[in-house]
Amino acid sequence: MLAAALFGSMLTPVSARTLNVVGPWEMTGVEASQSGYVFTRMQVAETLTAADSQGHIVPQLATAWQVSEDGLRWQFQLREGVSFHDGTPLTADIVAAELQRAHQGAGVLKQVPVKAIRAEGSQLVIELERVFAPLPAFLANYSTLILAPSSYTAEGKVSQIIATGPYQIQTMTLPLKLELKRNEHWWGGKVAIDSASYLAVGKGETRALMAQSGEADLVFSLLPVSVAALSRDPRLHTEVVTLPRTRMLKLNAGSALFSDVRVRQALSLALDRQGMARAILRNDKVAANQLFSPAMGAWHDSQLAPIPRDLDKARALLAEAGWQAGADGILQKDGQPFQVKLLTYSNLPELPVLATAIQAQLREVGIAVEVAVGNSSEIVSQHRDGVLQMALFARNFSLVPNPLGTLLQDYGPEGGDWGAMGWSDAQMQSSLQQLQVITDAARQAPLQQQINQTLQQQLPVIPVAWSELAVAASRQLEGVQVDPYELSYHLTSLRWKSEE
Amino acid sequence: MNSTVVTSPTTDIHAALAQAARPQPSRWAQRLGWGLLLVVSGFALLGPWLISADPDRQDLLNALAPFGGHDWLGTDPYGRSMLARLAHGAQLSFLLALLTTLMAVVPGVLLGIVAAWRGGWLEKALVALADMIMALPGLLLVLLVIAFAPGHFIPLCLGLALALWVEFFRISRARSAVILQQPYIEATRMLGFGPGYILRRLLLPALAPTLLTLASFAMSTAIIGISTLSAISVGVRPPTAELGSMIVELLPYYAEAPALVLLPSLLIFLLVLALQLISGGRKS
Amino acid sequence: MLRSSLWGTVLLGRALQAVLVSLLVGSLCFALMHSLPGDPAMRIAAGRYGPDAMSLQAAESVRQELGLEQPLLQQYGRALWQLAQFDLGHSLVTGRPILEELQVQLGHSLWLALASLLLSLLGIPLGIIAGARAGGWLDRGSQALAIGVRALPPFVLGLLLMWLFSIQLGWLPPAGFGSWQHLLLPALTLALGLAALSCRVSRDAMAEVQQSAYFTFARHKGLRGLTLIQRHGLRNAAIPVVAYLGVQAVYLIEGVVVVESIFAYPGIGHAMVHAIIARDVPMVQGTVLTLGLLFVLINLLIDAACRWIDPRQGGTR
Repeated sequence: MLAAALFGSMLTPVSARTLNVVGPWEMTGVEASQSGYVFTRMQVAETLTAADSQGHIVPQLATAWQVSEDGLRWQFQLREGVSFHDGTPLTADIVAAELQRAHQGAGVLKQVPVKAIRAEGSQLVIELERVFAPLPAFLANYSTLILAPSSYTAEGKVSQIIATGPYQIQTMTLPLKLELKRNEHWWGGKVAIDSASYLAVGKGETRALMAQSGEADLVFSLLPVSVAALSRDPRLHTEVVTLPRTRMLKLNAGSALFSDVRVRQALSLALDRQGMARAILRNDKVAANQLFSPAMGAWHDSQLAPIPRDLDKARALLAEAGWQAGADGILQKDGQPFQVKLLTYSNLPELPVLATAIQAQLREVGIAVEVAVGNSSEIVSQHRDGVLQMALFARNFSLVPNPLGTLLQDYGPEGGDWGAMGWSDAQMQSSLQQLQVITDAARQAPLQQQINQTLQQQLPVIPVAWSELAVAASRQLEGVQVDPYELSYHLTSLRWKSEE
Repeated sequence: MNSTVVTSPTTDIHAALAQAARPQPSRWAQRLGWGLLLVVSGFALLGPWLISADPDRQDLLNALAPFGGHDWLGTDPYGRSMLARLAHGAQLSFLLALLTTLMAVVPGVLLGIVAAWRGGWLEKALVALADMIMALPGLLLVLLVIAFAPGHFIPLCLGLALALWVEFFRISRARSAVILQQPYIEATRMLGFGPGYILRRLLLPALAPTLLTLASFAMSTAIIGISTLSAISVGVRPPTAELGSMIVELLPYYAEAPALVLLPSLLIFLLVLALQLISGGRKS
Repeated sequence: MLRSSLWGTVLLGRALQAVLVSLLVGSLCFALMHSLPGDPAMRIAAGRYGPDAMSLQAAESVRQELGLEQPLLQQYGRALWQLAQFDLGHSLVTGRPILEELQVQLGHSLWLALASLLLSLLGIPLGIIAGARAGGWLDRGSQALAIGVRALPPFVLGLLLMWLFSIQLGWLPPAGFGSWQHLLLPALTLALGLAALSCRVSRDAMAEVQQSAYFTFARHKGLRGLTLIQRHGLRNAAIPVVAYLGVQAVYLIEGVVVVESIFAYPGIGHAMVHAIIARDVPMVQGTVLTLGLLFVLINLLIDAACRWIDPRQGGTR
């Protein structure tokens, strides 16, 4: 009893309460391309643009932008009166240098056909080699965040994060923890909560316990099994949003096993998407009937019906393609059994679980799947070497808030590490090319639908389930907003209820 | 310079432990041990034959069924029969644990006896080797061996055995050194009995009880080790049922179905308890 | 005079062992990490940028940046030369100096190890009492408890403790670091596993002491109960127990990987596993080297402790 009192008293929160945020992502380094997403989500660092909850690009450090008639010269008007955490002002020269650095680094800006980046007065000018309409969306990516020159060492390496956001770093313990305090001079005004922390907790079970114990006020990426238990807790508020992210099976369409579209369709029909969504992901809404989730706006086709499991049709398609059941129940063609290796990784804990379920489901139509849980990089290296057969992964279409960037990378004429392999479609290529030039949403929609249909019929990758983000927040918090694009945790709109 | 360079004090405790664990188990404890072992190994050996349910057959709509339904022990999150998985898992786990322990005990004990017997530079070299391996983190060794052939059983056992053999080497060396200095060994030698006789009739019987105690702990260490490796996804591949990886697989469901997580642990507990009862425990 | 030269030998021996460990670790890490299957550049890129932003392009730029296309022998020579100069280099993933990273992690790991060792000492009195009444209910009970604790993987044990102390009782924070409260649960998780063993070891040592001639003699002299154990039992039982603590300390520092990751605690075991997975060779080398040298140091301390408890122990055995 005495011990209870002793411990209890020491843990009672004091009036100036720190907002404790917990997420699964460890910070692997201080470079923007490595851990920038933590800095932008915790609103330490900012990018030129941002996205609203619908995915529309909105101003942040840039207040307005315009493009020349020929589409090759972009001008960004920078926000006035912005200063870094060390008090130095933000200038167009600094922004230009930062973006040049990002362009040479490992971030998404590499995909943009940049010719030159330079400052003109208070404006930033980006000149392009060719027309590239989705440019503003690329400037919302975390790898393009803007740091002060004092963040760098003499050798040009980032040593600390001095940026422009409403919170500034007090201490940083890589790879797990950030402690932040309010930036009193933020351009957006004064924010309600004066200190915050971010702790990376890799285990989902631990994250749930941290929410339940009150140790964490805002917990991201709950495990599907935790959500139900936490939503019954009267002290917590849980929210699950569907992300522009899809768990999918990648097939080597260039190999003998999967070059026939009927085989790919049979595989798709053999999957029990509803069963996996309900039993494993605990969320009926995420069973993917198409590659693009509802969070992807015009790309998603809300008219499509769910794909029911149809083993008879799957078997018929496989038989049409020349696969006959062998003595052991495994399909055979020309004396070769239908054996395939499914590669996945465990950074996302649900992937090995889904792989095990898919293994059992494909076994029912006579396909023997060997599941290998390895490192995510093996998918890329096996793709390069052309030896990959099948892989299960989750692909984020909102790394840049406009999915076009990811699609260009994944479904170009050569395919992509996290997309098509040994598959290409001429009509889809032309649609992707046109979308780089067109800015008018009404003219974009038919092209986007055409791409969706092609992927749906041709199945270079088989959608399995959309990803969701499950968040638990303390009921003492007000103004929680969950951003499906995962650009920001919107700490600035939060406030403690008891403070009123 | 003497052997302090490489002798570590841990040998002392092993010698002490070895002497302390001299076998005089009370009869009821030993009987209970044999009985338990019979039940547990019977379940592992015969279970997979007697239980008709397929341990890999999934039924997602019947996931996490409670005890006592169609499947006696309920189902796991994929709707697979827990009873069938436990039986298959026990079979594989006990086999892997036995294999790992053998791979650690046989070279460990043989090298330990050789070191104590021959002494000199050979002993120093072997002790140095054991110390070096001990100075390397066990996990590193296991991860490195496994990385050459992920998902296969033999490297898994080999990696674990590589970390476990040092303990057996140290104890059998320390213990043998003590025994070999005893007057009766000298007498046996004088009577003209060869090293083979001394090894079989005198040395091994004296070492056996201690080794059995340690080996039973080594078996549980091996199974738990596999589960730890499964937790960082380098253990056994799905859908194979294995007690350690089952614990990892079922852990996220601890709040909904706590019994599921504890069942595989219970089997490990019973096995180790049985072995300990048989081998150790002294009468007061 | 004799005493000091003895210590000299011991210190020299341990110093030699330290050098050998460093050399072995340096070479072994390099050889193994490079002969492992999988493309190091790919692994490092995945470690740096995560699966989302990982691409062939990123891997190629990593390969160029780190000079991974150089001949192996050249890379090996460079690695050993750096090691000889006590330069552990920079982490390939974080880009920061290894020494800086190790300082932070080692500090946290040592705190955790110390706390668990202290907590695990609770197993020793239990073992001594159990050993004094070998075969009694306390002996049987503690044996069952010890086996039970060892039959649960540490992460299950950790979750059970979190559930009990954080959710049901609300005494301790479930995870994180930075205060002594944060330290208690991970330390307890480790300590239970350690106490299970040290309880058995001290029990066996005590049971053995009890059967010895001098103990029987003391009993015949009329000494009873605590006095008897205190005068003749403890000191003699202490040697194996203290020696065992040394082995445990090593287990603690390396065996905490899972516990560290479940409690989100920034220790050296956690760092080592991540480094192995990401093929961050300098970091693997740094962590393994630290652990190896720590092992040598602990053995030295244990040597000293054993000699202090029982001065009869000489250099030879």
